[in-house]
Amino acid sequence: MRSDAVNNEMMIQIENLNRTFEHAGNEVKVLQEINLNIVQGECVVLKGVSGSGKTTLLSLMAGLDKPSSGKVLIEGEPISKLPDAFASELRAKKIGMIFQHFNLLEHLSVSENVTIPLIPSGLKMKEIHQKVNSALKLANINHKKESLASRLSGGEKQRTAIARALVANPDIILCDEPTANLDRDNSLLFIEILKELHALGKTIVVATHDPLFENLSFESTVIPMVDGKIV
Amino acid sequence: MNEVLLSNQVIVYLLSESTLFFLLLVAFIVSLKVLLKWDFESFTPLQFTLEKQAYLVTAIILFVFSMKFLLILYFIFSIDALSLLVPGAMCGAGVIEANDYGSYLLILKLSILFFLTLWLYINRYDMRTKNHKWFKEKSWLFSFIFLLILVELGLDYSYFSNIDTHMPVSCCSALFGQLEGANPLPFGLSITLLLVLFYLLYALVIVTLKTKQTLLYILANILFVYIAYYAVVYFFGTYIYQLPTHKCPFCMLQVEYMYVGYLLWASLFIGTYIGLSDAISTLWLKQSHTRSQKSVTRLLSFFVLLCTTYVAVYYFKNGVLL
Repeated sequence: MRSDAVNNEMMIQIENLNRTFEHAGNEVKVLQEINLNIVQGECVVLKGVSGSGKTTLLSLMAGLDKPSSGKVLIEGEPISKLPDAFASELRAKKIGMIFQHFNLLEHLSVSENVTIPLIPSGLKMKEIHQKVNSALKLANINHKKESLASRLSGGEKQRTAIARALVANPDIILCDEPTANLDRDNSLLFIEILKELHALGKTIVVATHDPLFENLSFESTVIPMVDGKIV
Repeated sequence: MNEVLLSNQVIVYLLSESTLFFLLLVAFIVSLKVLLKWDFESFTPLQFTLEKQAYLVTAIILFVFSMKFLLILYFIFSIDALSLLVPGAMCGAGVIEANDYGSYLLILKLSILFFLTLWLYINRYDMRTKNHKWFKEKSWLFSFIFLLILVELGLDYSYFSNIDTHMPVSCCSALFGQLEGANPLPFGLSITLLLVLFYLLYALVIVTLKTKQTLLYILANILFVYIAYYAVVYFFGTYIYQLPTHKCPFCMLQVEYMYVGYLLWASLFIGTYIGLSDAISTLWLKQSHTRSQKSVTRLLSFFVLLCTTYVAVYYFKNGVLL
């Protein structure tokens, strides 16, 4: 919800956020004065054409990039200022990411890909197996758990990526063009899974230009972005 | 140009030191700018730029400091190798004393290594905080270390360019041997008292470390390293060389003695530096002790044990002491 109101359930707060890049000696303003508040359990769709700054905004929310100026707070914690080790820790606990190109390790199996985020957690193997299995079931890819990632279809790869994003039970799910490499049926299946996650109270941010996200069957906020600005 | 400056070891050493100094100079200039404008609570473009620069500076400093630890070993190896060029020198002791700069340079290098260890400790504390709480402290300490390294570089060039390869020098037998009627030991100690003090101070260091009496620990540690130096040169070293008149801190670094000097001096200085840095940073930053106590205990105990073993082995083999 775009609002200046700050309440106890505020999950992501963005204030006066700017990101510029140097390119061939010129300053390119990718994000300009972004202000955005997202409360817990909200689903936000950042909609815009390629180059509108959606992915950069997601990277800043995840603490994968540092802003040029401005604040990004995750549950009040300024992720944009945290040293790398702390940002990684916060990301591992609170944020799950789903990418356009899935970013799976092709030579590993589905269950191994989903297990990887839990390896640094220090959990016992039995507990890790339980978490992996429930994430695979939630993403509806349990039946392929032993298959190599390289042998999966696009839709199956995306569901594996969803399971990987969910396995640490994060509060926030960030999706970067999640349906760009999926056909219509698989895209609709992905949206169904998002609906389930929304029902579980996860905070979801989707950066996309897919028209399927314009009229979702569950409560969501569409935020249009043009030339690095929210319009 | 003299032969010393043209020797392979010195060329490599001076080039390495100069390159590292150039890197540190860049880091120093940037860190001064960062230090003067640093405001972590700010979310301005300037502060974000400074944070990126601070990250770069820390990376440069960590790299250069790790190289400095390796370079002191190379420096010692180099001066030992130069003993072939300097008449009268049989080991690094003669080369170090070849001019007025050598001793100061060696003491400065050992001091710099201590401050580097202290900086590493403060940096470790700083990296554990979300808001770079100790950034200013470590930056000021770095500025101080940079000035020491600037002096060190000047002394490096002065030292190596002023070694006269035609002038005979005194080596360990004259430098560390008992001069007529003069007692070379500190505080007028006898060898027996020196050894009693050596073991007592070692015990005091371990006890104060375990009981966390930080101030007493710092004092005991400084005294221990001072006394340990004399104990090694004037007593334990003679058992390493198996010759009562051979009193030298350098010869034991040579192959004839299986390079045991490197092990001996490294365990003493690393143990002391880690312990002192932990204690001083604890007092300075008011932080709890790190988990380096075990390392300090192991290193200093290893040093004492190694020294003692040489005496014990000699005694068991020969039935007498030197």
